[in-house]
Amino acid sequence: MARIAIFGFNRLSFEILSRLDQNLHEIFVVEQDSIRAGQALDKGLTVFNIDFRNDEELSKLGIGRNIDFLFCVLPEDSDNVFLTLSARAMDSRLSIIAAVEYPDCIDKLIAAGATKVIDPYQICARKFCDLIKKPEITMVLDHTVFGRGDLRLAEVTIPEGSRLIDKMVSELNLNVDYNLILIGILDKELNDDFHFVMGEQLHKLTVGDVLVLIGPSRAIRLFTKELCHA
Amino acid sequence: MLTRLLLVFAYMLKTSKRYRSIKRFFFDLLENVDNPLKKIFDVFMICIIFSSVGLKVYESRTAPNLYIDWFEYEVMLLFIVEYILRAWLYNDSHLIILREYEKALYLNKPFELRAALKEILLKKLAYMTSPYALIDLLAIIPTYREIRFLRIFLIFRLFKLFRYVNSIKIFTDVIVSKRFELLTLAMIMGLIVIIATLAIYLFESPALGGEIEDLFSGFYWAIVTVATLGYGDLAPVTPAGRIVAMLLILSGLVGLAFFTSIIVAEFEDKMQVFRENKTAAELKRYTDFVIICGYGRVGQEIARQLSRIKHKFIVIDRKEANVEQARKLGYLVIQDDACTDSVLLSAGINKGASVVVCSTGQDVANVYITLTSRHLNPKIRIISQVNRVENEKKLYQAGADHVIRPFEIAGLLAAEYVGQPVAFEALLGLLREQRHIHLETIVIQPGTFAEHQSIKDLAVEQYKLKLIGIISANPVHLKHKNAYKVKNEHFYFNPAPHFILQAKDILVIIGREYSIGYFRDQLEKSGLKKGAK
Repeated sequence: MARIAIFGFNRLSFEILSRLDQNLHEIFVVEQDSIRAGQALDKGLTVFNIDFRNDEELSKLGIGRNIDFLFCVLPEDSDNVFLTLSARAMDSRLSIIAAVEYPDCIDKLIAAGATKVIDPYQICARKFCDLIKKPEITMVLDHTVFGRGDLRLAEVTIPEGSRLIDKMVSELNLNVDYNLILIGILDKELNDDFHFVMGEQLHKLTVGDVLVLIGPSRAIRLFTKELCHA
Repeated sequence: MLTRLLLVFAYMLKTSKRYRSIKRFFFDLLENVDNPLKKIFDVFMICIIFSSVGLKVYESRTAPNLYIDWFEYEVMLLFIVEYILRAWLYNDSHLIILREYEKALYLNKPFELRAALKEILLKKLAYMTSPYALIDLLAIIPTYREIRFLRIFLIFRLFKLFRYVNSIKIFTDVIVSKRFELLTLAMIMGLIVIIATLAIYLFESPALGGEIEDLFSGFYWAIVTVATLGYGDLAPVTPAGRIVAMLLILSGLVGLAFFTSIIVAEFEDKMQVFRENKTAAELKRYTDFVIICGYGRVGQEIARQLSRIKHKFIVIDRKEANVEQARKLGYLVIQDDACTDSVLLSAGINKGASVVVCSTGQDVANVYITLTSRHLNPKIRIISQVNRVENEKKLYQAGADHVIRPFEIAGLLAAEYVGQPVAFEALLGLLREQRHIHLETIVIQPGTFAEHQSIKDLAVEQYKLKLIGIISANPVHLKHKNAYKVKNEHFYFNPAPHFILQAKDILVIIGREYSIGYFRDQLEKSGLKKGAK
């Protein structure tokens, strides 16, 4: 169970909340504005109405102790940078995901210590452009990775003692055996570098490698199960 | 008899395709601003005018030259032909005859040729008295060496440039549209000059020690002074004359200031119109472009990404700052309210646009633009942004084909990071097309090698591509498993090796940009080869 703090209650955090399984994680919202904090409360969320500029209050929330993920989705870029800086100083291993309003701020957020930066407008515009240029793709994306259909994008870590260890990627044949398509691998040996798997399948699998797959939920479950048992 | 002959002739012209195409050609050459032919013709005429005027000026102080005269003769012929062509293009005279004739038939009255001819004559006269036609005519005259004083009309040849140079036209438009203000100013200044002329004539007469001998000298002095030029060849000497001079200089300054401000202000307005005309002219050349309504953060990103893939688009926004920003980036912009019919029409919603994007931050505006666009063009694709979830349905009702919640994907992506950070990386990579990895679709065209081929034989792996699935509306494929219904098509995920591809099927593949490009090229080439055979 991960502890997740979301700073800022707005449309973006609303979308994030709707995608996170609230039974699986302990999630709370931090909102400075009392009206919006009230709205979040009405939705049945755990809300803290505190000042994010105050390190003591952040520490009280659990940053530096037991918070695993921090979402900085405050409306002002400068606030997000400030929060990222404060949180990073308190916990060097915390996963900080920040959103930007203006693209110039991406570098600043990364410099401040954000793990991942998301530009929501860029991603949204991407969908507009895909709909204009290649509408079929958006449909496929909706069905495969955006959870509208049975298909989904999943990652599977290769456990200790798995029969896949030392196998070549080209030997896997996941699409025939499991009805899964392997699109990428995170390679433990190559300092955690993620790469897409296209034709070059000479890679040898090791413990801790992460496979990124597309496929029906059932097939993914089956594959994960067999991976552990073998 | 003559009437019959004329009628037959008029009918012949009306039905003749050849006549129409000839007239069309000359129209394109002389009048059609959007035609590249006219641009060439304009430049040619400008060169002709400059050389003819230059030679004339040169000849005026030297002995007559045979070659110059010959050139002058040719130029005159060209001008006359152009004049006649323009008069011919001005209207369709045969249609007037036919209209009159049909009217007479309908009313059961005898057809009067004279009335029709009179109307034709009036129309042509109307052309001949238009300012441009008059300039054209006057430009022909100076060729006759015999009428020496008509040489002044040489200047009219330069006026003829107005026809061919667009920017001069803006200037004349400015003056014409501000004629009331300019006329008022001219009258006031004229009055001041007259008063000054009389005053200086009275105060500065030679009898009083002045230099102004007659009214003309007075008038000349007044003009030179009011224009704040002051040559100094005539200067007031009496105290009264000097007071007049001082007052006249001051009023001259004020008058000039007014004149400048009137012209400059009007220029500002005209430039706006001029820019919009230019935008419209540029749009006419495009087909399949996108109309982006609203240049906020989402609109800006869409424009940026479209311009990167070189897809044509036009931006409509009301806010000055947004428009300025778009203009700086060299985008086509209309500064207006996208909710109105006229703005969408002038943006080309019925002329070449294929998609309308509603990306204003307000749902009300988006709904309104969607409704208006759908009403104006029932076939156009409309993609709209929605800010509040509850309005999504309203946008679909208004006629949107797709509705996008701006933060939906970003939210999903952020949430994905919590459980599956590596999958998040893959997704972000695909969405941003990082490392040149693209998710693409390739349509199987009839006649290409992929048609009627099995997935196994196609072996996209040899191109270093990954086949995710196939989109098809073909019922032949329905026997295969892993089919996901999407609208009126099916998406076949991970198709089996024995899946046989049909024409119009769409492959969904992941791969590097150049692998995809290479595969696509191979497909297209095979199609062409087969077509050639």
